[in-house]
Amino acid sequence: MRAAESANVLIEARALTYSRQDEVVFGPIDFAIHAGDIALIEGDNGSGKTTLMRILTGMLHTDEGELIFEGAPYTRDTTAGAIVFLGHHLGLKLDLSARENLHVAEGLYGRRDGADPLGVLTSVGLAGYEDEPVQRLSAGQKKRAALARLLLVPARVWLLDEPYANLDRDGIALVNRLLGEHAARGGAALVTSHGAVSFAGDEPRRIRLHA
Amino acid sequence: MTPGSTSAACAALFRRDLTLAWRRRGDIAMPVLYAVIVTTLFPFALGPEAALLARISGGVVLVTVLLAILLALDSLFRSDIDDGSLEQLMLAPQPLALLLGVKILAHWLTAAAPLIVVAPVLASMLRMPANVIPALIAALVLATPLLSLLGAVLVALTAGTRRSGMLLALMLLPLCVPVVIFAAGAVAAAQEGLPWVAPIAWLGAALALALVLAPMACAAALRIAMDA
Repeated sequence: MRAAESANVLIEARALTYSRQDEVVFGPIDFAIHAGDIALIEGDNGSGKTTLMRILTGMLHTDEGELIFEGAPYTRDTTAGAIVFLGHHLGLKLDLSARENLHVAEGLYGRRDGADPLGVLTSVGLAGYEDEPVQRLSAGQKKRAALARLLLVPARVWLLDEPYANLDRDGIALVNRLLGEHAARGGAALVTSHGAVSFAGDEPRRIRLHA
Repeated sequence: MTPGSTSAACAALFRRDLTLAWRRRGDIAMPVLYAVIVTTLFPFALGPEAALLARISGGVVLVTVLLAILLALDSLFRSDIDDGSLEQLMLAPQPLALLLGVKILAHWLTAAAPLIVVAPVLASMLRMPANVIPALIAALVLATPLLSLLGAVLVALTAGTRRSGMLLALMLLPLCVPVVIFAAGAVAAAQEGLPWVAPIAWLGAALALALVLAPMACAAALRIAMDA
């Protein structure tokens, strides 16, 4: 049982701490994310949610504590292609249409089995806006265009930094539905939120950061 | 090409950057316009004496074109950093150095290639003899990508700092000097009817070195800039 459980661990953090100029931003924290887990990272403004996200993407490094990806050290080689990140900056080119943006993502990350750019745009509610430059979409629609990328690429781990921001009630339900489907497929997701929205499904795993 | 393969990634990124440049064609025209204006002003300032213009034509065109490229350089990674596209590039399962190399190539094609096309016209306007033009084009074809590559490393190094334009200009000056010396050396030799292959070969050697090393340096510098 224990062996089977540890084999399923995607991301494990042990005493992970991040300090900026000798001042502790967060930690030490411990958590383990299994396949099928949706974890909510909670904390007030400035508690280090985005910092933790950036560490989990591998862009930001910390020397304190340990991060493990599928039993191997957390490096670019071990996490390559397994992680997709949606941050405050959505990573969309404003001069391109939602569909063109997805073609770029598809080229860079590959394509999930059975997914195609038009299909995923329809499932995030952007049918009819495929060829509109992202510039002309509303803030919520831009967010939806970025969410479509999650559905298109084959990454198993979703790192979503404040995915509910700018979304209407339907949009929040959409994110929750996408997260539910992703978990059911055996994917995992870490989601930050300052706790203002109702979160998907039953009690999610919570990782709490303190300011 | 299967989606997610390295070649597909490079092709997608190359197409993206060319499409973006095309959607903002006004920005491409800027450096060309700048080069045209500056070279047009020289005869007015120095007088229309043919012998004088012919003598300075090589230097004027070279320096103007290289400066025009520097104008466009700052925008190389700026928008990608601002809208989060760079994060997406860095997390993609492709070698970042290769992707940045593709970006630099696309940038060179949109910023420098139009300048190389207008350079012979500008040079003949300054009464450069027709037999010197091939040397000028050869010098520009090698010097402009070299400058784009060197500049890209510096843009990447200063990516973390806001308003890095000033710092960039200061750091780029010493790197520009050898490029200008060899390029101008080739044109001057051609003007005097001497063989001009040697300085061109030096430029070619430097370009070969930069082609291999600059994208890797860019990738390392951008990773450091994002790691803060």
